[in-house]
Amino acid sequence: MHPPTRFALANAEGEEMQFPPDGPVLLALVKEDCDTCNLTLPLLEAVHRATEGGLDVWVAVQKRDDIAVLKDRHDLTMPLLDDDALGLSYETDIDTVPTLFLYDEEQNCTLQTFGFDKHEWREIAGESMALAGRSGTDTAIDWESLPEQRPGCGARNYEPGIYERLQALKSGDLLSRLVDLAASDDIHEFMYEQGYTDGFPVVPPTRERVWKMLQGTQRDPQEEVAVMPPNLAPITVEKIAINAVMAGAKPEYLPSIITLVEIACTESFNIHGVLATTMGATPVGVFNGPIRDRIGMNYLHNALGSGNRANASIGRALRLCARNVGGSVPGGTDRATQGGPHRLTMNFAEHEDASPWESLAVERGFEPTDDVATLLAMSGGPATVADERSRDGRGLAGTLALSMSCMQDPKSPMVDTLVVLSPDHAGIFGRSGWSKDDVRECIMEETAIPLKDRLRSDDAGCGLPPDIVERFGGEAALDMPVSKFRDKSNIILVVAGSPAAKFSTILGGWAGGAYSLPTSAKIGV
Amino acid sequence: MVTQILDPTDERVPIKRSLTPRPEALHGTIALLDISKPRGDVFLDRLEELLHERAPGVETRRFMKPTVAKPAPQPIKDAILEECDFVIEALAD
Repeated sequence: MHPPTRFALANAEGEEMQFPPDGPVLLALVKEDCDTCNLTLPLLEAVHRATEGGLDVWVAVQKRDDIAVLKDRHDLTMPLLDDDALGLSYETDIDTVPTLFLYDEEQNCTLQTFGFDKHEWREIAGESMALAGRSGTDTAIDWESLPEQRPGCGARNYEPGIYERLQALKSGDLLSRLVDLAASDDIHEFMYEQGYTDGFPVVPPTRERVWKMLQGTQRDPQEEVAVMPPNLAPITVEKIAINAVMAGAKPEYLPSIITLVEIACTESFNIHGVLATTMGATPVGVFNGPIRDRIGMNYLHNALGSGNRANASIGRALRLCARNVGGSVPGGTDRATQGGPHRLTMNFAEHEDASPWESLAVERGFEPTDDVATLLAMSGGPATVADERSRDGRGLAGTLALSMSCMQDPKSPMVDTLVVLSPDHAGIFGRSGWSKDDVRECIMEETAIPLKDRLRSDDAGCGLPPDIVERFGGEAALDMPVSKFRDKSNIILVVAGSPAAKFSTILGGWAGGAYSLPTSAKIGV
Repeated sequence: MVTQILDPTDERVPIKRSLTPRPEALHGTIALLDISKPRGDVFLDRLEELLHERAPGVETRRFMKPTVAKPAPQPIKDAILEECDFVIEALAD
């Protein structure tokens, strides 16, 4: 609470009144729907009448329409000021009404109080009389009839929604252009027509919402996070926050979204290629660490699907950043031939407790207590692998291998396949004592077919060019087994989903390995 | 009612560039840029053949991006600019 030094507000007659007036003044801030304000307004009026000519009593009312109501209800003659915009309340940072400030003739605030404390109010009334040059303390107030104490009420400037609006209006941190809408505009139609959306409605990024979103991070709104392809546009924390609001995210998701933007724009992940490719790849986010529960991510039922706000909006926010800041628009630099529903959003948390192995993040060099996001560029799937019969690791790895052998096409060697094991399938590997590498090696072996069957032929044009045989040592190599995967590290294993079902999911990576590498980073603040 | 929203885009005004004036006839050197997509070489081989046949005065020079997945490295762009008068890029499949 800071006693105001200077302000101008209109009185009930609409005339502007400049604060401070000449001489001592008692300033009060009140609202109509507050019992304590209604208890104390007659006391302020009594002080006003007893000190008139020697001291001003000004009452700022937090709602314009309440001025006339209070004036009639309590037969008030002292000036009632219009603080409907709550500018004075905000600057003064009052959280309770009534709040009183008493200023002497030098405009120094000598006493202040909030709520109703009889002792303090008597002191202020007495001091007001003294400052007005009145002898005695007889303000005609029957103090004996008043209660000892009454708590005040919450000030309007701290009400939910209003507080954020005031902060946003006063904040000089937001630099984005304000887009004005006509009264006749439908906001959702307008935003779609401007090309701001992914086809679904978005949450309008008002100043209040963006300000509130920015409270989710400690980073400066104007900090440049990355240069966003394909337009190579600098992207600031504020721009990410705007798109996060549109995606439906909560402020506590913002650090995760910023991290995904940082990862996406690295040379190794290469979001430029991922979003431009005709093959229709998309960034898939996998989350590890305590943040999964802290922000309520889903790794149980429908973990890869709909229904969870964090999973859905974090991935969507990244896509909206790429669209609105990066300029990746389908038919423009987004050249996906067909794309897929996971290009809207695909983002989930690993069910670490259901995994017999270390998590994806730990495997990639992080601590179990680190909050980590990993982005993978995926174009194929999600495809279900159903195996309700296998009871040991060998059988299940064989099923996975057969399912994975046809990804992209049955002949071409593949890179980076994401295998999302259900807890039941993961449990089978755990009980069989299989490590991640055991699973990978078995899949490498089981997907190996003779080189000649990986070559293009007249009855299937896909596969490796025939002249590649020379690189393998000529005709003698035709029967050499060649795995579907170039390296076992290309098989990425994570666990997610609910228990009691033996279904897993595979997602095929995008084209050749170095095009986009799985990339991880710790989530910041 | 919402009356103002913050602009979610990068807000940069695109730089307007005019096309290089179209020449009356082919001359000098033509860069043939293969972006490393399958069969781009087949297309450019045939194009090169036709150019030599129908525009005997012009030279052709072949360039190739190291990967289809990323924009052309600056040295390739510089070389095309420095050594050639025209460029034909074989895009996509």
